[in-house]
Amino acid sequence: MRAISPITPPAGKRPLRCRIFDPFRETPLLAWLFGAGLAVLLEHLLGESFAALVGLAKVPVLFGLMIILSKPLLFPGALLYVAVIYLLPLVTVALLLARPANTAAAALLRLGPAVSVLFHLALFYAVLHFWAEISGYREMTVKFTLIAVLLTLSLNLINGYMGEFSCSHPGFMALGAYGASIFSLSLFVNDPLFGKALLPAFLGPWLFPLGLVGGGLLAALGALLIAIPSFKTRGDYLAIISLAFLFIVKSLLENLPFVGGPRGMGSQPDYASLPVVFAWTAMGVWIMNNYVRSTLGRSLNAIRDDEAAAEAMSVNTRHTKMTAFMFAAFWAGVAGGLFAHMMRFINPATFGVQRLAEMLAMVYFGGLNSVYGSIVGAVSLNLLGEVLRPLELFKWIFIPLLLILVMIFRPTGLLAFRDFDAVRLVQPRSRDRQGGAP
Amino acid sequence: MRKIPYLLLAALVAGMICSPLAWSKGKSIKIGINAPITGDNPKVGEGTKFAAEMWLADVTAAGGIEVGGSRYPVQLVIEDNEYKPESAVKATTKMIIEDEILVMVGPQASSQAVPAGGVADSYATPMISPWSTNPNTTKDRPYVFRGCFLDPFQGPVVANFIKGEFGAVKAAVLYDVAADYSKGLAEEFKKAWEGINGPGSVAAFESFTTKDTDFSSQLTKIKNSGAEVIFTPQYYSEVALIVPQARELGWDKPIVGSDSWGSADLIKLCGPACFGLYFSTHYAAAGAAGPTREFIDRYQAKYGYVPDDVAALTWDSLRIVQAAIEQTGKLSGKIENDRAAVRDAMAKIREFEGITGKMTFTEEGDPSKCAVIVRITDQGEFAFHKSVCP
Amino acid sequence: MTYFLQNVVNALQWGSFYALIALGYSMVYSILMLFNFAHGDIFMVGAYIGFGVATLLVALSAGGAVVLPGWLILVLTLLISMFLTALLGMLVERVGYRPLRDAPRASAAITGLMIGIILETGNLWLVGARRVSFPSLIPTATYDLGGVILTNKKIMIVLVALAFMLALHFFVRRSKWGMAMRAMAVDYVVVPLMGVSINAVARLTFAIGSALAAVAGILFSIAYPVLDPYMGIVFGWKAFVAAILGGRGSIMGAALAGFLLGFIEIFVAMAFPSTLRDLIAYSIIMIILVFRPHGFFGEPYSTKLRL
Repeated sequence: MRAISPITPPAGKRPLRCRIFDPFRETPLLAWLFGAGLAVLLEHLLGESFAALVGLAKVPVLFGLMIILSKPLLFPGALLYVAVIYLLPLVTVALLLARPANTAAAALLRLGPAVSVLFHLALFYAVLHFWAEISGYREMTVKFTLIAVLLTLSLNLINGYMGEFSCSHPGFMALGAYGASIFSLSLFVNDPLFGKALLPAFLGPWLFPLGLVGGGLLAALGALLIAIPSFKTRGDYLAIISLAFLFIVKSLLENLPFVGGPRGMGSQPDYASLPVVFAWTAMGVWIMNNYVRSTLGRSLNAIRDDEAAAEAMSVNTRHTKMTAFMFAAFWAGVAGGLFAHMMRFINPATFGVQRLAEMLAMVYFGGLNSVYGSIVGAVSLNLLGEVLRPLELFKWIFIPLLLILVMIFRPTGLLAFRDFDAVRLVQPRSRDRQGGAP
Repeated sequence: MRKIPYLLLAALVAGMICSPLAWSKGKSIKIGINAPITGDNPKVGEGTKFAAEMWLADVTAAGGIEVGGSRYPVQLVIEDNEYKPESAVKATTKMIIEDEILVMVGPQASSQAVPAGGVADSYATPMISPWSTNPNTTKDRPYVFRGCFLDPFQGPVVANFIKGEFGAVKAAVLYDVAADYSKGLAEEFKKAWEGINGPGSVAAFESFTTKDTDFSSQLTKIKNSGAEVIFTPQYYSEVALIVPQARELGWDKPIVGSDSWGSADLIKLCGPACFGLYFSTHYAAAGAAGPTREFIDRYQAKYGYVPDDVAALTWDSLRIVQAAIEQTGKLSGKIENDRAAVRDAMAKIREFEGITGKMTFTEEGDPSKCAVIVRITDQGEFAFHKSVCP
Repeated sequence: MTYFLQNVVNALQWGSFYALIALGYSMVYSILMLFNFAHGDIFMVGAYIGFGVATLLVALSAGGAVVLPGWLILVLTLLISMFLTALLGMLVERVGYRPLRDAPRASAAITGLMIGIILETGNLWLVGARRVSFPSLIPTATYDLGGVILTNKKIMIVLVALAFMLALHFFVRRSKWGMAMRAMAVDYVVVPLMGVSINAVARLTFAIGSALAAVAGILFSIAYPVLDPYMGIVFGWKAFVAAILGGRGSIMGAALAGFLLGFIEIFVAMAFPSTLRDLIAYSIIMIILVFRPHGFFGEPYSTKLRL
C-alpha cells in the first residue's frame, strides 16, 4: 500500500497537470481528430516552406525527435515546427470546436454506436494517412508499428489475460508469414520457387485476405500442437514447450527447400499497403477487444487468478485456455502475413529468440491485461527504436534500462488492466449533454 | 529564481531564431553505409565502418569527389542494421528518404541485402552490397550491384582446386544450415564435386546451426565416412573452432575453406592448427603489391589489424561508387536524376582495378572477377597459391 | 562401437556445459520461482572475465613478474572469475530482482532479459567487435583408446563439472544455508517468519548460480576458445529448457536434464542428417514433456501460483 499524500494543494495553486488539461475537459475525441486533421493539412500546405524557415532541410519526420540526437543545434527549430504546425492547430481546434463537436458526436451516437465508432475510425485513418503520406519513411514506421500492435496484443492475450508465459509467438508469426507468402507467391507471381502464377495478378489484392486468414489458421494449428500437451497441467511447462516449438519451427523452415530454406523467400507482391495494414490492425484490435470483454475473456482472467475457483464456477478451463491460445496464435499469424508482404522478404532467422525478446518487451512495457497497454507498448518501443538510431550501440543500453525502470516502478507495465471501450471513447464530453451525470 | 523559466524560454527562442544558421550550406554528396554495428555479427559492421571512414578521410583530403570540374564534399551516413532484415529495411528507407543519400553501400550479409535491395530498387537508388553472395540480391534489380563473386562461381573453383591439388575422390562438407551464405556455397560445391567425381562422392554433408560451438558429432561422422578432405565454407570464427576440434578427433587430412576465412583474426583465434590449409578468396594479403598492399598497410596502421575481406570489399565498392559518380560528369542537384545517372555510370564500369581484383559488372549487376587460392603458411600468413578466373 | 563411444564422450563434454548452466537457472527457479533470463549472459560475462584474468596472468607470467605454471593460472582464473561473476550475480539480483519480488513473476523475467541485453551491449562496447581467443593454458594431450579419442581437456572439463555439481549437491543437502534454500523453495511466505532472511538466501542463490556460470564459461572457453558477446543467448535459452525439464524443486534434476539435452543433441546429429538436429531434438523434448509434464524430478504443481 502506498500512502496517499495527506497534503492537498491549496485552491488556485492546483497541480500543473490539472491546469494544463482542465480547459480540454469538455473536448470530445471528434474535436481532437479535427484538430489533428487541420494540423496535417497545414503540414501538407506549409510544411516544407515552414521547415525551411526554421532552418530544417526537410519536414521533421517523427516530430523532430530524431533531430535531438543527430543534430542538436537544429532542435529548437524542430520544436518550433512541432509547436506551430501540430500543437497550435490542435489546441485551437480542440478549444474552439469543443461545443459543435460535442453536438456532432451526440448526433453521431444517436445514429448508433457502430456508426459513430466507424466514423471516428475513418477520420483517424484519414489523419494518419495524410500524415504518413509526407514521407515514405513515416509510412514505413507506421506500418511496422501497426503490425507490432497486432502482435503485442495477441501475445498479451496469453501472457497478460491468461497469465501463462508463452515463448512461441515468433513461431506463430513465422507460420503465418510463410503460409501467406506461399499463398500469394504460388498463385499470383511467377516465382522460381513455385513456378508460374496460377491466377491472374489483378485478383491478388482481393484474395490477399484469404492468404492472411490461411496463414493465421496455420499458426492456430501450430498452437493446437502446443496446447494439447501443455494445458494438461498448470505451470511453467507452456514456457518450455512453446520455446521448444519455436526451435522446431525455425529448424523446420530451414530444412524445407521449397520455401527457400535459410535463404528465405523474397519478392512477395506488395499487398500490405497502409490502408490494408490499418484495416487488419483495426479489425484485430476490435475483435480481440471484444474477445477479452466477452464471457470467454472474463473466464480467462478467472483462470489466471485462481484456476480451481474458476473450475468450480463451471469454467471449462482446458477448453478456454486452448481457445484463447489458438485465437492469439491466429492473430500472430495474420500479423506475420502482413509483415511478410510488407518486408517482401522473410527468412527463418527473422523469427528467432531475439524477436521473442522484442515482443515480450513490448507487452510488458505497455502493460499486462490491457488493450491500451499493448497499443502504447508497441507504439512507444517502435518509435523509440527509430528515434534512438543516432545512439547506435547505446540504443541497446538505453532501451533495456528504460524497461527495467518501468518494471521496477510499475511492475505490470505502464497501462495495465485497462479496459478499452470504444463507445465511451467517442462519447460527447460536455456535462450538460450527459444529463445529470456527476 | 522565478526568472529561470523566462531565461530558458528566451534561450529557446534565441535558439529557434539562430537555428537556420546551423544549416549546412553548400551541396554535398551523401553516401549511405548500411552496416551491422550491433547484432549477431558486429565484426562485419566494424570492418565496413572502418573501411568507409578510411575512404572518407582520403576523399576529404582530396577536397571531395570531382564531378565535371567541381569538387563536392562527401558526407557518410552510417546506419546500424542490427544484422536483422527488418532493421536493414528501416535503415535503407530512412537513408534514402530522410537523408537523401546518393548511393548506398551495404548491407553486407544476404539476409539483409536481399530485402534492402528491394527497397533501394523501388526508390531507384543505386546500392552496392560488397559481400552478399545470394543471387536474389541483384536479380531483376537494375539499381542493385554487388562487389563479390557468387556461389555458383566459387563452388566449382574450390572443387576443381581440391581435385587438382589433392586428387581426392571423396569429400565431406561441414556447413551452417541456418546461414544462407554457407548453405548456398555448400550446395554449389556439392553440385560441382559430384559433377567431377560422380554421384555419391560427397561422403558426408553435415551441418550445424549458427552459434553452435561443438562440432564433435558431425566431425566424428565425417571421419567415419571415409572422406579425404573437408570443405567448410564457414566464417573464420567458426573455422577457429572446427579445425582444432577436427584435429583433436584425429583428423589429419586437409581442410579447405572459402572467402569467409579471409580474416587475419583467423590465425589469432585458430593458431598453428590452421597452418598449411587452403581457402579461396578475393586477395592474398601476404606478398600483395601495389594498391592492395598500400590498403592493407594503412588499415593496419590505423586500426591495428590486417583488414578482413569485408573491409577490402567495402573499400572496393566505395571506390567503384566514387568512380561512377566521377563518370556521371555532372550532378544536377536533383537527387532522382543524379541517382539514375550514377546507376548508369556504375553499370558501364569496365575492368575496374580494385584491390580484390579486376571487376566488370554483368547485366545483373554482379562483377565477374578472379578468385585466388590462398595457402596459410607456417608463419600464419596468407600466401598466394594460384588464381582462377571465370 | 567406437563410433558410438566416441559420441558418448562428445556428449558428456557438451552436456556438462548445459548441466552447469541449467543448475544456475534451476537454483533461481526452484528457490525463488523466477526465470533468470540474464543467466545466459552472465555465463558470457563469466567467460570474458575468465579471459581477462587469464590473459593478464599469462602476460604477467611471460613478463617475468611472477612465473606461474599453466595449471596454476587456470586454477587462479577459475577462482577469481567465480568470485567476480558471483558479485555480478548479486548485483543483478539487487538491481533487477529484489525490487520486483512482489511483482508478477513474468515482470522479473523481463528485467532479466533486459539486463542480458545490457550485458551483451556493454561487453560489445568495452571489448569491441573483434572476437577474442582464450589463451591456451594447458597443452592438449590426445589419447587414443582403441579408436575412441580423448583429450586431457575433455576429461578435465567433465571431471571439474561433475565435481562442482557434487559440491553444490552436498552444500544444498548438508549445510545450514542449503537447508534454508530448500525450505524457501517449499514455502516462501512462512520461512522468512522463521528468521531466515529471504534477501540473504536470494543473494546467495544468485551468487552460487553465477559462480557456476563462470565455471561453465571458463570450461567452455577452454573447449571452444573463441568468445563473442552474443555467445550466451541461444545457449542460455537451451539451458533454460534443460532447467525446467529437470523439474521444479530439483536442482540435481536440472543437471541430469542438462546432460540429457547434450546427449539428445549429439545423438540426433549422429543418427539423423544433422540438418534436422534441432527439429528432432526438440520434438523429442516435447514428447518427453507430454508424458512427464512435471519434468523428471519435479513435484506436480499445486494449482496456486503467483500470476
